[in-house]
Amino acid sequence: MRILIVEDDREAASYIRKGLRESGHVADHAGDGEEGLEMARAAEYDVLVVDRMMPRMDGLSMVAALRSDDDRTPVLILSALGEVDDRVEGLKAGGDDYLVKPYAFAELLARVEALARRRDPDTVRTKLVVGDLEMDLLARTVVREGEDILLQPREFRLLEFLMKHSGQVVTRTMLLEKVWDYHFDPQTNVIDVHISRLRSKIDKPFPRSLLHTVRGAGYRLQA
Amino acid sequence: MTARGAAFLRTTAFRQTLLSAALFALSSFVTLGFVYAASAGMVLRRADTAINEEVVALDASFQAGGIRTVNRYILERTVGGGADYLYLLVHPTGRSLSGNLTYLPEVQPDDEGRVQFTYRRPAAGDNDGEDGKDDRTARGRIIELPSGYRLYVGLDVDEETRLVSRMLNTILAASALALALGVATGIFVSRRFARRLDRINTVARRVKAGDLQPRAPRNFTGDELDELSENFNNMLDRVEALMHRMRHTGDSIAHDLRTPLTRMRNRLDEALREEAAPGSREQALERAVADTDELLGIFNAILSLSRLEAGESRASIQRLDPADIAADLAELYEPVCEDEGLAFNSEIQGGLSMLGDRGLLSQALANILDNAVKYTPTGEAVTLRLRETGDGRIEFSVTDTGPGIPEADRDRVTQRFVRLDNSRTQPGSGLGLSLVQAIVDVHNGEFALAEGPGVVSGGHGPGLRASLCFPKAAAES
Repeated sequence: MRILIVEDDREAASYIRKGLRESGHVADHAGDGEEGLEMARAAEYDVLVVDRMMPRMDGLSMVAALRSDDDRTPVLILSALGEVDDRVEGLKAGGDDYLVKPYAFAELLARVEALARRRDPDTVRTKLVVGDLEMDLLARTVVREGEDILLQPREFRLLEFLMKHSGQVVTRTMLLEKVWDYHFDPQTNVIDVHISRLRSKIDKPFPRSLLHTVRGAGYRLQA
Repeated sequence: MTARGAAFLRTTAFRQTLLSAALFALSSFVTLGFVYAASAGMVLRRADTAINEEVVALDASFQAGGIRTVNRYILERTVGGGADYLYLLVHPTGRSLSGNLTYLPEVQPDDEGRVQFTYRRPAAGDNDGEDGKDDRTARGRIIELPSGYRLYVGLDVDEETRLVSRMLNTILAASALALALGVATGIFVSRRFARRLDRINTVARRVKAGDLQPRAPRNFTGDELDELSENFNNMLDRVEALMHRMRHTGDSIAHDLRTPLTRMRNRLDEALREEAAPGSREQALERAVADTDELLGIFNAILSLSRLEAGESRASIQRLDPADIAADLAELYEPVCEDEGLAFNSEIQGGLSMLGDRGLLSQALANILDNAVKYTPTGEAVTLRLRETGDGRIEFSVTDTGPGIPEADRDRVTQRFVRLDNSRTQPGSGLGLSLVQAIVDVHNGEFALAEGPGVVSGGHGPGLRASLCFPKAAAES
């Protein structure tokens, strides 16, 4: 993947860049909003990682300018603010996801990869398949090896998210945000408990497990 | 005068009382002056009337028989003493002809021809003998008769003038006394006032110097100084509480951050050692990262708490159904409770409406549920309840049958970083309940901790009931 990092903090930028390269991506860096806008217009990127507070042109203005050019490149906004309505503001300006500093690199990577996946034309998908696990989004049924699996509504949404991002790492925070729409971190391991419930339904009765725990990052559903 | 005395003279209190004393003296002076003018004037007017009557009589006798008749009239009345009036008939040459006065002093008559002078009484017969003085005051009129004769008719007004002047002196003395008394009371009152103010100022100065202990003295009369003292003391209490909280927060931040920081440092140190096995090195680094996450979590909690408390959060408050929030959280926490061996129940009343921020309210409830899960021993129960209370408010409550919180500590646990001794071993920042309190405050609600339904003997304790009460939203418009 080709990723553009727009961030005025050079140290933070090189940290992200190094991490992304190590994960097999190509990462460029722009030092402020104007430079970022120029670079984003000049080349095709899969994902933009944009810091919110920057000199010359701030992140939100840059994203708004891109969107007015009808550039739909997914944008992850980085912010040190981190209150709910800051997030709302960021998403309104055209950001696709919002990450509050400080963050773990694994979190950033997971979100960047999830954003890149979004570009796939998944608009009319009615069926998700991972290995022998199948989900029918219209009938709202889940089948594995021909066996029906009964899921609670929330478990269904959790599995749906995991299947849509199959092969990718999804973090606990991402699940909490996207599946439950909560933007805080509970002290207890609520997500782990829900994942283990889901696992007992989709994995336990079968010889091969699909839902893997990625240490220090989150979970990955993979055939 | 000492500097202190001079300062005292400058006080508002002293100036005010001095002014009122002066006004009081002036008003009493005016009042008495009015009394004086009325009574003294009346006494002299009566004398003047009598004199005028006698002048008319003398004038009549002059018309009847000329100067001789007048002379005889006067002689008849003055010979042998005891005359009511004072007379003196003066020949054009200046020689006295008749009368009971020896001579007529050169006194300029006033507009109405009246003269007043001092004369020496010829005979001692009617002497009042008080002070042996015979100089007495006469008041009368001088009438110029044709052919150069002058006639004086008057009255002895010594008693009257003496009365009047005595009255005048009394009035002046009384006014002076009033002024003196006023000033004295003023000094007394303002001294007291100044002393009380002084005590408050002393307290203020000591507080400024860094000692938060002293309090302004109160006399509990409810007067304005007492009220000032009360407000002043309340302010100091608040400042002291804030200072204490700040100091405590500082200490607690230091304490709570020191532990994970030290742990992290040790792990990294260990990982750096050459003899460390590659596997354990990796593990140490991973755990160091986990420690960092814990630290960041604490920082984030401090940050959002400060924002909420400063009212900067601009929470997106909107009309919502609290049942949705409760149901989502029940669904989120039920498996967690089951995993911990806790019986989880939820009783959620639908059809309610309130104003709130879903994210914040969920966070508050999640914090409380987290606590319930953390501190309730296996085998006990946790219940999440949403209901409309008897007084028409919306109440979320989380009840557990765990050890509870001792009554004495219940107020304390909502303060920042307060962690009860038995919870120090558990993970947590000590900020959870502070955050709940701040969120409830943003929603104009009430957060209360009470005893749960648990059993003290045999069970693990009385349990805990944490309730969040919010006003109901007005009917949909």
